[in-house]
Amino acid sequence: METELLVKKAKQGDKDALVELIMQQNQGYYKLAYAFLSNKEDALDAVEDMIVILYEKIHQLKKVDAFHFWSKTILANCCKRRLRNRNKIILYDSLEEEPYESNYKQREDHLLLETVLGQLHEKHQEVIRLRYFLDLDYEAISRILKIPLGTVKSRLSTGLKKLKESLGGEG
Amino acid sequence: MEKIESMLRERKKVLDEMAVPEELEARLSRALKERKPVRRRSHNWMAKAAAVCLVVFLVGYNFNTLAFYGKKLIGYDQVMTGTLRELNELGKGQLIEKSHTFDNGVSVTLDGIMLDESQLLAFYTVHDPKGEVNSMNIHHHIQFNGFFGRYIMRGGQGESNEDNTRIKWLMSFEPPFFLERTLHFRFLLLDGGTMEEGVISFKLDREKAMGTTLKKKINQTVELEHTKVKFDSILASPTRTVIYGSIQNILELAKDQLSGERLMMNNLNIKLIANDHEVIKQQGGRMSTDTRGKTFEQSFDALPSDLQSLRIQIESISVDRDVNEEVNLLHQNRVMEILGQHLEINDVYELNGSTFVTITTDESTVLTRVLLMVDGSRIELEKTVTDDYDKLPEGGIRHTRTLHFPGTGEELVLLIERITFTESYNTILEIPVN
Repeated sequence: METELLVKKAKQGDKDALVELIMQQNQGYYKLAYAFLSNKEDALDAVEDMIVILYEKIHQLKKVDAFHFWSKTILANCCKRRLRNRNKIILYDSLEEEPYESNYKQREDHLLLETVLGQLHEKHQEVIRLRYFLDLDYEAISRILKIPLGTVKSRLSTGLKKLKESLGGEG
Repeated sequence: MEKIESMLRERKKVLDEMAVPEELEARLSRALKERKPVRRRSHNWMAKAAAVCLVVFLVGYNFNTLAFYGKKLIGYDQVMTGTLRELNELGKGQLIEKSHTFDNGVSVTLDGIMLDESQLLAFYTVHDPKGEVNSMNIHHHIQFNGFFGRYIMRGGQGESNEDNTRIKWLMSFEPPFFLERTLHFRFLLLDGGTMEEGVISFKLDREKAMGTTLKKKINQTVELEHTKVKFDSILASPTRTVIYGSIQNILELAKDQLSGERLMMNNLNIKLIANDHEVIKQQGGRMSTDTRGKTFEQSFDALPSDLQSLRIQIESISVDRDVNEEVNLLHQNRVMEILGQHLEINDVYELNGSTFVTITTDESTVLTRVLLMVDGSRIELEKTVTDDYDKLPEGGIRHTRTLHFPGTGEELVLLIERITFTESYNTILEIPVN
């Protein structure tokens, strides 16, 4: 109910209502962006890109209860645009936040994973990120990426296969 | 396959544990702040047709006027602040569009100026067909000359294009005296050993100048524990808002100079807040020491047009002071306070003919000039060898490092001549706006 009211307000141009809507699920939005971009600054920038687009386009939204799916689709697109623009360079900014040595192994794995993920085709990358990093089910992925359910499944299996090939050996 | 899945799961665990940054909400609000409401298109064809007729009529009739006011400075988007971009969108300012070409082919074009009571902004383009615009030395001694005096450059920024043939500069100058009519924009090109001067002259159009929106004396002194900061006045114009203040007047400065207890301000952190919660974006600041004492200026974006209230929030100040403190290192593991700043000597040891002293202070405290007296002779600090930061459970960060002095001896005295530290405050000054 509250969401519906906020969406209506946002449709009339209420900026605070729009911010509140995003903050309702801030964890979800931020994690989605982070899953794609792997660093805090870019993730925040992408969420910012998204809200500006939402503000300009919200009057086109027809189904009020689809707000969060709709905006996550836009966020995913913003992230993909940023990914393309930064030419697969992976920025690393949160090293000082944690004791370095204890996380060394984990970071090394992460870096390796990001590198091989980054080499996959965009359409395979995105389904893997959404399925494994965000634990979304096939249907949610299909709604956010606007692709049929069957395509989600086939891209996921192809993506994993390619990931295995790039990691080499028995995987 | 299992390894990949376990790596993916591992990565998910990291993501799950990640907290959403606190600044998210503020950044979202900020991103929307400058957005204008979207106008929905009306589908009424009659209204559309009428509008087209009206535009055709107006454009035809007033072509010259529209051509003038419609002009904007193009290509300066990256160097303009939010306020300036808006003014430029509105077509404010005076277009000049005159250039000067030097013998070697380099040209300078003064595209336009914006003038208000606090500054003269010059928008100019330097063009070098050879593509060496970045290594060229052209903006020494850029100034405006007029009948009543010269107006020197205060600062600004520029952006070059990818093939280095062009830089667009936005520079701020002192505002010209109010009777000035013709101004000469002067610049020097240093090319190898030769120097060539270029001049672009133009008539100042005062009608396009913008006045002041707020001019007020503040005259309030804020006393922090070790420092007094005086806020003198505020001048708000359509291009920016400047707060003027001082740390010491000339008498205090002279007194400290004589007693050898000089202080130097490194950084003053203040926020300007309009209408209770709108934080005005900071543009820059400067500090100077001259015959008026130690003064500072902090500039911000322009104030909102519906100004109800205005306040300055003083957050912190970092000052460098003379202390001349002597610490005898025969007694190790000592804890002491210098001007209220906690200093701990953790360890003193000799290694390969050098003396190493490990100390811990607050994160913001730096011994800006420190020496070691070894049996009466002074040894300069060679370098700082380790750095460790510890977060305290009660807040604050402690910085532990080891100072390396090349030399050893019997009697060791650490001589701290100058020290920098930050005092944090949360003091608010209200500025009456009516």
